[in-house]
Amino acid sequence: MQKVGITTTVPVEIIYAAGMVPVDLNNIFITAENPQALVEEAEMAGYPRNLCAWIKGIYATVQKRDDINTLIAVTQGDCSNTHALMETLELSGVKVIPFAYPYDRDYDLLKLQIEKLMDAFGVNWRQVNEAKERLDAVRQKVWKLDELTWQQDRITGWDNHLYQVSCSDFNGDPEGFAGEVDAYLAQVPEKPKLNAELRLGYIGVPPIVDDLYDYLEERGARVVYNETQRQFTMPFATDDIVEQYRLYSYPYGIFYRLKDIEEQTKLRQLDGIIHYAQSFCYRQIEDLIIRQKLKVPVLTLEGDKPNKLDARTKMRVDSFIEMLR
Amino acid sequence: MYAGIDLGSRNVKVALLDDNREFSLHKFDTVSFYREHGRLEDGQLVVNLSGLGLGNVNLKAVVSTGYGRQTINLKGARNIPEIKAHVTGAVHLTGLDNFTLLDLGGQDSKVAKVVKGRMIDFETNDRCAASTGRYLENMAAVLDIDMEELSRYYENPVDLTSTCAIFGETELIGKVVEGHPVSNLAAGVNYTIFKRIKPMLIKLSSPTVVFTGGVAGNSALRRIIERELDVEVVVPKHPQYAGAIGCAVTAWKNNEK
Repeated sequence: MQKVGITTTVPVEIIYAAGMVPVDLNNIFITAENPQALVEEAEMAGYPRNLCAWIKGIYATVQKRDDINTLIAVTQGDCSNTHALMETLELSGVKVIPFAYPYDRDYDLLKLQIEKLMDAFGVNWRQVNEAKERLDAVRQKVWKLDELTWQQDRITGWDNHLYQVSCSDFNGDPEGFAGEVDAYLAQVPEKPKLNAELRLGYIGVPPIVDDLYDYLEERGARVVYNETQRQFTMPFATDDIVEQYRLYSYPYGIFYRLKDIEEQTKLRQLDGIIHYAQSFCYRQIEDLIIRQKLKVPVLTLEGDKPNKLDARTKMRVDSFIEMLR
Repeated sequence: MYAGIDLGSRNVKVALLDDNREFSLHKFDTVSFYREHGRLEDGQLVVNLSGLGLGNVNLKAVVSTGYGRQTINLKGARNIPEIKAHVTGAVHLTGLDNFTLLDLGGQDSKVAKVVKGRMIDFETNDRCAASTGRYLENMAAVLDIDMEELSRYYENPVDLTSTCAIFGETELIGKVVEGHPVSNLAAGVNYTIFKRIKPMLIKLSSPTVVFTGGVAGNSALRRIIERELDVEVVVPKHPQYAGAIGCAVTAWKNNEK
């Protein structure tokens, strides 16, 4: 089946409806054997050093793979670096299909974008709605996993992250992925209780390091809310796919995202929030709004290179935990 | 006797607290400290304390902190986060309960807001060491003056814009070529540090700033902070040892619990 690369979450129902397989390039990049080598490859090609490592990683990932020749790039609702990513990939012969989330969450504009994407893949509404039904069945299982994360104390922050973040493309195999989730859920009652009295939220893009959650848990704090990863599971009960991607908060402004964050902070009784922002990302500016608006203590972490926490970040995490105690 | 050890990037500081609640303070160059007195055992740093020339010490507890604690666990010591160590040390040294702590070390700048003796928020430098002691040392070297001389000047600063410790040197050399007197150049260097820490100090402001770390010895910077932010700046005795003293106090208090 033909693979279609995606740079962030897009209406994947359309890709599945067309009988193709979406591939979230972020996941391929970060789970590569040596993601830092991919970043360096992009720098060798001419990408600046002071630029988001995710963009560089995606660039080198697509260059390396000969099975990804088509790419949906989110031109609005993600970042402007994506524009240059699209252009440099187009230069090397990749077919790029743009998709834009309207800034003001306008229903009609979003519907138009979805229809344009449907045209590009030659699918109709019936097919798309069928695909939505198929994917929703899988999403519901992951909702359960998320619910158990904060209502009980057996699911680690990493597992919560991993299963939710996988919902951007369902690992290219929704039913196979659903089976994995089922198997995981069946094991949950047997899992050891986590010994972590502090309850944290994690907001912002998924982390470029893979040891943050474990590091926190070793120190008595656990993440029971992963903002963006949860959004990837489309946790909204709606039959309308346009409305679904209108409720989805990640591509829209910070004030809309904050509504969701505030709601979940209260519901999940969070003691503190970690706001992660990638080095050189415009979202670092939004940190000041987040700090003003949220009522719980916020630790801002900046990540640059994959794959491990550095000593300074660890020092800051330690101090934050100490402060919350 | 209790020991507090601050494994800094430039110096290792040791504070020993005896039964009369008196401190004795010792400083070692970081690199030679690791080379001469430490060895790795199962991934933990073992330090031969009797080899440090501190005399006959009978330790009840050791607490450590500092940059080194992330990479090396000091064997037999309890590790605490740096900011906690510095806050505890500053509270102990000044007797104050409400203040903003400013700690400028070799590679670190930390600001913490302390209310009723407890830290309620903090900020640190990240990804860049341009507002730290190392930067001052580099710039003093460019000007061919020592740190004491550098810390005299705060009037008529030349405007230095570069936020990078390395490019800053190039810019400073440019200013030397333009013919500015050393006093104005040194004042400019001190002001660049202030500009870097100002946003953190304003965000976590209090009427009193307790200034610790090796850079607290820079009296020009103290004057600049007082003048620009209209705050009282308190530099405790032995500001460089605040972290080590905080560790020793923590060791003592935990042991008495």
